[in-house]
Amino acid sequence: MNVQTSVKASRETNEVTETTEMAKETTLLSPRFYTTDFDELDRVDVTPIRESWDEIMEELRSDPNKNHFKKNDDWDSVDFEAIEPELRKELIDFLVSSLTAEFSGCVLYKEMKRRGSNKEICELFSHMSRDEARHAGFLNDALREAGLAVNLGFLTRKKKYTYFKPKFIYYATYLSEKIGYARYITIFRHLEKNPDNRIHPIFKWFKEWCNDEFRHGEAFALLMKTDPKLTSGINKLWIRFFLVAVYATMHVRDHARPAFHKALGIDIDWYDDRVYRVCNEISRQIFPIEIDLDNPKWKRNLGRIREAFFALDKANKRGGFIGFIMKVAPGIKALSAFISLYLMPMKKNQVPDNPRLAPTF
Amino acid sequence: MGIFLRTVEKVPCTVEVSHKFESLHAHVKFNNGAVVHPGDEVLVSGEPISAPYGEVVIEDREATIKRATAIERLWTRLTGDFEFMELCEFSFSEETTL
Repeated sequence: MNVQTSVKASRETNEVTETTEMAKETTLLSPRFYTTDFDELDRVDVTPIRESWDEIMEELRSDPNKNHFKKNDDWDSVDFEAIEPELRKELIDFLVSSLTAEFSGCVLYKEMKRRGSNKEICELFSHMSRDEARHAGFLNDALREAGLAVNLGFLTRKKKYTYFKPKFIYYATYLSEKIGYARYITIFRHLEKNPDNRIHPIFKWFKEWCNDEFRHGEAFALLMKTDPKLTSGINKLWIRFFLVAVYATMHVRDHARPAFHKALGIDIDWYDDRVYRVCNEISRQIFPIEIDLDNPKWKRNLGRIREAFFALDKANKRGGFIGFIMKVAPGIKALSAFISLYLMPMKKNQVPDNPRLAPTF
Repeated sequence: MGIFLRTVEKVPCTVEVSHKFESLHAHVKFNNGAVVHPGDEVLVSGEPISAPYGEVVIEDREATIKRATAIERLWTRLTGDFEFMELCEFSFSEETTL
């Protein structure tokens, strides 16, 4: 059995001696620790997908982005103090949560590597952990420029280990990596056409960067391909659940960051739809079903979920008994919208024998 | 592991924290091969480890593993999956609005 992690960041604002100075913030990374069934991971046999497996491993070994994450003349300086407060808050949230995601991936993959005994699986996770730590370092540097320091003091705090079945790690991590790719490449392509909206130099690094995410997703697709049960029968219901939950979460969170998207010149509805379509197209490599994005129920219920979550957020901020009462109606609304989305007829995919894809978006 | 009572183990561990441009990571390794199971709690003793920017800090410490009872372990195995959204990491924090 065993471990790994995801990280949540919380921000603490330290006292600053000079009132005129921009507040120095410390972002405390407080990871959650997970366990999984390591014996099951050890039993993974890549023989059925040997050729594709060797290909992806060779690619990971060659480390194509080894020299990509270097600051060069393209890295323009950013004056964070000059950025309008709402945008600054959302831009920093973007950087911090991206760092958190990379850091989580790093710890998760490292533990999977450390606890496993299957040589091929261990090598895979070791390469992926390397990439994530590198991304985290790059983001950390960008945050330092913004006057934000990360605190890794979580190691000496009490950690409780929860548990996930390997298949849930596959579905969730596969989707996170592929959706991460789709998000980064969509932003990159948009800014290629609209360079004036590039509010931070980090976006210039996104093209090669998201190829790492793409590669990791490829590896998870292959892992799922080693066992046909993972993508058939009752597990199709789990895939459906993950697709709806992940897409809906993205919709809610993106719509709650209007200043960030406005500054990039991105229409959030257009962007999300584009990301879903890219992700749908990619996931045909392994998932036998996909969400029907053209069904009018899709947009309608995403809107209902968003309204419900915003109302729940208001209620949470209010707190107390009135806050509790305020949560009842939106809670029911969110649940009923989620069920409607979950029950929408899915489109069926003919999954190819060989899942391998190239990042061509 | 007890059925109703928690047991506590002290184990030597090595902590590695890298706060470098090339790599930001932090890991704990139990030096006696101890394994953590669902529901266990781990606490690394001592002061918080802080690596100055640009440095890697490797320290030997002691960790306390508070073992979950058999019931807690089973419960964690059965219910842990419900927290799956934690595994979905993509842009923006989980706060609905900032």
